[in-house]
Amino acid sequence: MSLRNIGVVYRKELVDSLRDRRTVISMTVVPLLLFPALTLGMGLLGATLMSRAKGEVPLVMVVGGEDSPRVVEALKKNQKIEVVPGSADFADQVSNKTVRAAIILPKGFDAAAEHGEAQTVGVDYYEGDIKSELALDTAETSLKDYRVTLARQLVSERGVPGNLVEPFKVEKTNVAPPEKVAGSTLGGLIPYFVIILSLTGAMYPAMDLTAGEKERGTMETILTSPVSRTDLVLGKFFMVLTASLATALLSLTSMAVSFFLARNMIDKLVSEDNPTVHYAIDPVGILAVLLMVLPLSVLFAATLLAIALFAKSFREAQTYLSPLTVIVIMPAVAALLPGVELNTRTALIPILSTTLVGKELMAGNHPWGFIMLIFLSSCVYASLAIAAAVTMFNRESVLFRA
Amino acid sequence: MAEPLIQVRELSKHFRTYHRREGIWGGLQNLFVRDYKTIAAVDRVSFTIDRGEMVGYIGPNGAGKSTSIKMLTGILVPTSGEAVVNGFVPYRQRRRYVKTIGVVFGQRTQLWWDIAVIESFKLLRRIYDVSQSDFDARMELFNSILGIKDYLNTPVRKLSLGERMRCDLAAALLHNPPLLFLDEPTIGLDVVAKHHIREFLREINREFHTTVLLTTHGMDDIEELCRRILIIDHGKVLFDGELRELKQRLLRTKQIKFVVKDRADGEGLSRFAVDGVELQPVDELTYRFRFDRTKVSAADLIRQILASVEVRDLLIEDEPIEEVIKRIYAGEATLEVPA
Repeated sequence: MSLRNIGVVYRKELVDSLRDRRTVISMTVVPLLLFPALTLGMGLLGATLMSRAKGEVPLVMVVGGEDSPRVVEALKKNQKIEVVPGSADFADQVSNKTVRAAIILPKGFDAAAEHGEAQTVGVDYYEGDIKSELALDTAETSLKDYRVTLARQLVSERGVPGNLVEPFKVEKTNVAPPEKVAGSTLGGLIPYFVIILSLTGAMYPAMDLTAGEKERGTMETILTSPVSRTDLVLGKFFMVLTASLATALLSLTSMAVSFFLARNMIDKLVSEDNPTVHYAIDPVGILAVLLMVLPLSVLFAATLLAIALFAKSFREAQTYLSPLTVIVIMPAVAALLPGVELNTRTALIPILSTTLVGKELMAGNHPWGFIMLIFLSSCVYASLAIAAAVTMFNRESVLFRA
Repeated sequence: MAEPLIQVRELSKHFRTYHRREGIWGGLQNLFVRDYKTIAAVDRVSFTIDRGEMVGYIGPNGAGKSTSIKMLTGILVPTSGEAVVNGFVPYRQRRRYVKTIGVVFGQRTQLWWDIAVIESFKLLRRIYDVSQSDFDARMELFNSILGIKDYLNTPVRKLSLGERMRCDLAAALLHNPPLLFLDEPTIGLDVVAKHHIREFLREINREFHTTVLLTTHGMDDIEELCRRILIIDHGKVLFDGELRELKQRLLRTKQIKFVVKDRADGEGLSRFAVDGVELQPVDELTYRFRFDRTKVSAADLIRQILASVEVRDLLIEDEPIEEVIKRIYAGEATLEVPA
């Protein structure tokens, strides 16, 4: 192995790639355009949908309230729902979304309630429909409030202090720093995108430098030069890694810029329900994510090279590499699922571990033990992949596959 | 006598391949069951080449020429046998060895596609450890013979085939190797470009005593450049000797193609197809005579025909190399491998 020769090969591949429009486009234009478009588009869509859902006052049907005007009156006081009189086909109406929820009162509710008899109030709603779930929430809150008022009235009539019904209150205060809240929502997404892009950025050069070179017929000639095959593959590997990291770095930059530009919009979205929360991203967190993605990029670059080298043509290489995107996306998506958490087992699964630790880093947490474990395990996987690529390059049956 | 520059003994290269069945059903079968077979691309080839020789390594497509060159340049490891070139075993001491050889593959290039020619040269200079002064001197020389100065700053993909081949030759000779391997150097080139390349090869052979082993499947390169040829087919050396001798012994058949004015003239030609002269119609107005040139004089035949038939055009051809190889197989020639 000679560092000088690796350097010569690397320089050659770098110069060659920079002259190739396709590489430059996949490396720069895609991340630079994708993120602003994605952020702005998704932000706008989300904002529009949310405001529309919130702007509409859901219709809630009260069934069987004819003999219980007091409870109906209490429900009508809530401005967030519009109470409509009941009809027999309430269940169908909830399904058809003509009303968003239906409150089913038992016969003689008011009368029974005054005597403190135990009864059940049903609420029909449509799970999965945001508007119906909002209506359910509001109806439930109204009913609970009415329950407390009723209880208070009942106990005070019997000469017992009203406080007894509600011996204590619960008051919520958010102490999480703003970036932490933003981190939990967006934190999972940022490492996910960086990982996917560090893969796609490496894909084109990996194919071009191996199968592409075979196809153009320049592979044999470089093999006749006094550069050892190991130096050759390492030079190529560093080029693919450069492309991968450049794509990741550019995408992070572009993401940061577009988030900054769309900040107000997103801020409004996040803080509407919770005015104490503000949208922010921790720059140290982003740098830490990049550092954690580094061994993963090495793993991608080496794996892509080893696989693409097996192909005889660019097209064949594409066939082999496209499924790889799915294989990478799966663990990255799994990390976004609720309940998938960082532990010693998940920390050893490549990609999944990096996405999980990225989520933590973006949320401002620094689980050092896991960070070390994940970095080291990723380095081990990456070295194995490099070893595989070098072995492939030294095999005649792979280089000159008939 | 000095040690030969290239010594090849019983060199073989086997490839494992499988029989591909035809059709959709065959394609499906191929996925699961494959009849593997071993093919000897090069089969126990032996020869020696001395310093300063220019040798043609010829044979039809798929004969094993390129595989031989790849073994001699250290890219492929032979299945069996041995080769010593410039005192090195190519596939074992590859990195030191390749600094003493130059290689040009006619259908490939060692210049990088998207970058300017001069940048490839500079990279090769670093790879081969050529000093700046040697590099400048050689660039000067190549420019004077090959005239490559005008397109040194052009990316390779924009060069014509002829221009690229000149640059490839210059690239292969940057480190002044005593031995040059050329695989189909004139393939696809026009007459003028071919001429330039041949001139250059003669020049470096004369000036620097560069030994040249070139493969080709046409005879014209060989006739202009090589005194000695090796004929290879199906991985075996069929002939090793002087070109002159091959011509005397094997290229006995001459062919003359006549284009006549009308069909009646064509019928008139059939009178001359006697005494070992064969006549084959090519198309309605074109006819080919084949005859043994040791028995029939081409000049006499042409004179007689021109005297009686109205001929529009005529072309004298040698027998294609494939025909020669067929006849070697038929036992009309013996293998001549020096002991």
